[in-house]
Amino acid sequence: MNDRRRKILWVLGLLRPYRTRIFWMLLAVIASTASALAPPWLAGKAIDSGILADDATALTWIVIAFAFATAVNAVTSWLQTWLVGWVGIRVLQDLREQVFKHVQRMSIGFFTRNRPGTVISRMTNDIEALNQLISDGIVTLFANMLTLIGVVAILIALDVRLALITMSVLPLLVITSLLFRRFSAGAFRRTRERIAAITAHLQETLSGVRVVRAFGQEPQHVNRMTELNQLNRDANMSTVYLNATYFPATELLTAAGTAAILLFGGWQVIEGNIMVGVVVTFIGYLQLFFDPIQQLAQLYATYQQGMAALDKIFGLLDTEADIVDAPDAVDPGELQGRITFEDVSFSYDLEADADSLSDRWAIRHIDLEIPEGETVALVGSTGAGKSTLAKLVTRFHDPQEGRVLIDGRPLYGWQQRPLRRQMGIVPQEGFLFSGTIAENVAFGRPEATDEEIASAAAAVGADQFIDRLPDGIETEVGERGIQLSSGQRQLVAFARVILARPRVLILDEATSAVDTRTERTIENALERLLHGRTAIVIAHRLSTIRRADRIIVLDHGEIAETGSHDELIAADGLYARLYSAWVN
Amino acid sequence: MPTFRRLLGFVRPHRRELWGSLIFAWAAMGMTVLIPSLIGKAVTAIQDGDGDALLPIAGLIVGAAILRLGLTMVRRIVAGKVSLAVEFDLRQELYGHLQRLELGFFDHQQTGQLMSRATVDLQAIRFFLGYGLIFFSQSLLTVTLAGAVMFWINPWLALIGLAPAPLVVIAALRFTRVSRPAMQEVQQRVAELTAEAEETVTGIRVVKAFSREDHRYERFQAAVTRLFDQSLHSTRIQAFFQPLIGALPQIGTALVLLVGGHQVLAGSLDLGQFTAFYAYMLMLSSPLRTVGMALGMGQRAIAAGNRLFEVLDRDPEIVAPPGAPDLPAGEGRVELEGVGLTYGPDAPPALVDISLDVPPGARLGLVGGSGAGKTSLVALIARLYDPTSGAVRIDGSDLRSVTPDSIRHQVAYVSDDSFLFSDSIGANIAYARPDASPEAIERAATLAQADGFIRELPDGYDTVVGERGLTLSGGQRQRIAIARALLADPRILILDDATSSLDATTEQAIRDALDEVMRDRTTFVIGHRLSTLSLAETILLMDEGRIVDRGTHEELDSRSPAYRSLIVSGAEDDPLFVDDEIEVVR
Repeated sequence: MNDRRRKILWVLGLLRPYRTRIFWMLLAVIASTASALAPPWLAGKAIDSGILADDATALTWIVIAFAFATAVNAVTSWLQTWLVGWVGIRVLQDLREQVFKHVQRMSIGFFTRNRPGTVISRMTNDIEALNQLISDGIVTLFANMLTLIGVVAILIALDVRLALITMSVLPLLVITSLLFRRFSAGAFRRTRERIAAITAHLQETLSGVRVVRAFGQEPQHVNRMTELNQLNRDANMSTVYLNATYFPATELLTAAGTAAILLFGGWQVIEGNIMVGVVVTFIGYLQLFFDPIQQLAQLYATYQQGMAALDKIFGLLDTEADIVDAPDAVDPGELQGRITFEDVSFSYDLEADADSLSDRWAIRHIDLEIPEGETVALVGSTGAGKSTLAKLVTRFHDPQEGRVLIDGRPLYGWQQRPLRRQMGIVPQEGFLFSGTIAENVAFGRPEATDEEIASAAAAVGADQFIDRLPDGIETEVGERGIQLSSGQRQLVAFARVILARPRVLILDEATSAVDTRTERTIENALERLLHGRTAIVIAHRLSTIRRADRIIVLDHGEIAETGSHDELIAADGLYARLYSAWVN
Repeated sequence: MPTFRRLLGFVRPHRRELWGSLIFAWAAMGMTVLIPSLIGKAVTAIQDGDGDALLPIAGLIVGAAILRLGLTMVRRIVAGKVSLAVEFDLRQELYGHLQRLELGFFDHQQTGQLMSRATVDLQAIRFFLGYGLIFFSQSLLTVTLAGAVMFWINPWLALIGLAPAPLVVIAALRFTRVSRPAMQEVQQRVAELTAEAEETVTGIRVVKAFSREDHRYERFQAAVTRLFDQSLHSTRIQAFFQPLIGALPQIGTALVLLVGGHQVLAGSLDLGQFTAFYAYMLMLSSPLRTVGMALGMGQRAIAAGNRLFEVLDRDPEIVAPPGAPDLPAGEGRVELEGVGLTYGPDAPPALVDISLDVPPGARLGLVGGSGAGKTSLVALIARLYDPTSGAVRIDGSDLRSVTPDSIRHQVAYVSDDSFLFSDSIGANIAYARPDASPEAIERAATLAQADGFIRELPDGYDTVVGERGLTLSGGQRQRIAIARALLADPRILILDDATSSLDATTEQAIRDALDEVMRDRTTFVIGHRLSTLSLAETILLMDEGRIVDRGTHEELDSRSPAYRSLIVSGAEDDPLFVDDEIEVVR
């Protein structure tokens, strides 16, 4: 509960910067509510003080007041909608940026543990749900409470007994509204789930249309769609039944209220206790009385959804960044590139400790010294720990035990971002961002000149395909570089690294084959990349392995053997066995 | 209007229900219109001091309301049924039609476009046909009836009170028209913002590797600002129209109070009639708005209908003649006779005059640069496309003379993208034969060298993969795709670059398995790695849609420089070890 208070206070804190606007907004809400309450009362007054009093001037003035109230209501509603919208959207914007900033501070380990979809929906869907609570919720609560209090006050002021009779239908209305909310929340959620299932199925059969056609399995999908379609129809039908009961029922309650007012009010008039205009006023207020109650019942669902979203967003914001600079971390300046592993052990399982089962360790007790300028090839079968070792050098993770040092200083002693800027990391699949090829090449060094960008592209041989594109280096690559082939993406990723002039290179060699010409270009580009830099290569091809100064063979997270190709063959160990299995 | 007429055609099967629901709606409206005049009668009774008349009038109001409750409930349920039935039919028809359309259609369509037809457009039509028509007629009837009663009571006052009515309709129509695109643009910008967030999250390793968090933040901020601007625009429209639509009928009410009040004072109108007028004015504001909104809905439904019919009117091109037989049993001989293929009127030919006779059990390799026509050639064998000229035959039957389904049950085509459905691995392997036994599935997986890694997954064969499941590596996906093809037990197997992400050892093991499975069956292999091509006995060298050379690998290697330049020459470049690690350094 305390936690909930903290969260609500935090939400209110988001509103703080806009308190002037919120002040005006509340004024507008009060003014529009009051001006909406006036017309029925004025209509009653027109009958009593104008018509029945036989006073034409009073009638005219009352109608002028009526028109004035209408005008005020129009203007203040306009202001209210505008200000509520503005504040809600603005807070939403601030919140999105805050969450995004926080997400970017998280370590790579965080992104490994959480699916991308989940992280993204914190910045999109959940914030949208919170917006409902902030803009609609708060205003609905405020405006409707105000209306309700206003109506009740006016009715009581006009006639206490008639007011009590009118309000006697209230409990019924509240109960039906709450029941409706309760049942419909589940029903409406089901309709959303069902339509989402249909959309997902459709999306899948469209993107997999080649496979569907190739195996002639259309009937299977048509059957599945019929099933989903049927489920969707059933789910929607239950909301139809709910709506068909609730809305006519409230209409009946309105009519019953009207009848009661006419009956009891009428007798009061006949007995001379009240005037006929009062009865007309009561009828006019009946609807103004019903709407807020229905909306307030609705609000509860908004509140629950908003709070659920708030919990999720907090779950993210409360997650501290786990890889941070030490307080005395220094800017590395220009690195030399000497890498040292001192008895390093690492597990992806956060709770692992030294006593736990050995197979939970991705790497164990690694001691390794890579001198400046050396190219090291990491070799081993699946799960041997090659990529883990590479990731520790880039400090995407911190080891549980031991230290990784660069130029003799532990990684956490260097400032993270300048350190990474001097490391070139080339993934298996070249990930590109939407934008032009030039923008992607300059990703690591945005200040690079056009000439530098072009020469980086030329250095890896990417100019060959770039020159053939209609827009050349200004070609848009599309989302994730989808417009380029995988080999071309790879080359752009290489050019990006070349331009960043890293001192240390971490390379995960691509395994999937591209066409031969590109393959050769990539091979030459690799040569350029490795030259004169400390490099750790997760190698898959013999040609790359041979090019390395030293081969490190990993097995179950430990270094099994090291040496050159010839040395390892001569040693007749694990590498020699892998090699001979492949040769045959 | 032809589109509108065709849209109404979707209602035809349910026209009895629709009429029923309309009649109920009108009857309910009759009750609604009755109530204000009863109120007027009650006020007259009160004024006349006739307390005894009040009870029957109140009873009548409650009675009318109860009757209306029953009528409205039935009306809503019937209308809901019709609306949902129309949606159901529309979706079935569209989806069924999409499944009948040939692959070529999808080559020219963006998935997003088709998706929005099947969702947004369909919704617009369904709302209009299911609810819009009823709301429209119901509201129009209310306005007409109430108007008639008001004219009957006092024509002048009715004219004055209803003067703003056309304005309300126009404003509501205009609001529906303007706000819709604005809101859609908001959705569009939300999508852009999501894409921006998605790119950063999926590419976070690159962002961190180059320390470009600030740059991504700026881009995200720009997307947020764009959304902010558009949301404000949409809010502004709402802030303008909603109070306007609310205030316009009030002006009518004010006029009624003024003029009617003076008429009562002058004695030409009695107080009861005056009150009834007032009650009618209160009642009319929402139907007037509905008429305008329903008109807007109708316009949208017609636009959506036009887009939907564009798809529905496109006839499938790959169909069997009526009464066509299934592909007769045979050994798997494939013949191409003078085959040419062009994808579109402006496209260069993909295949030119290809003639080929592949005997049963042969293993044919296809080699060529990109755009040489390899994939086009094998796609013809599964009749994914029809040749523009010439004929393709399997065991003597022209593919155009037999049912496409029977061809595809005999030809298993494994493409390079190895698409998996969001389903268990077992179901993915059994895709072509959903009735396959678990043993058969495991055997196919074993042959494709997939059994080992599948067993190590958390739920084994029940592990859900695909877009909404576990992400597998490229090599793992390829092996599942091959298992899927093997389980189909095809007469002809096509591997289109289907082993590109496998290492040499795995590829070798699959080759051995194929030796056993594909004996006496025909296999086509596309690839450019030596290890892949060693699956084939004969290799065809293709260039610009033609077969330019054929022979064994040794023959081509020795005589064709073009061939040598296409093949990844040194065995050293073949992957030695391939990671099956799901998480690679990215």
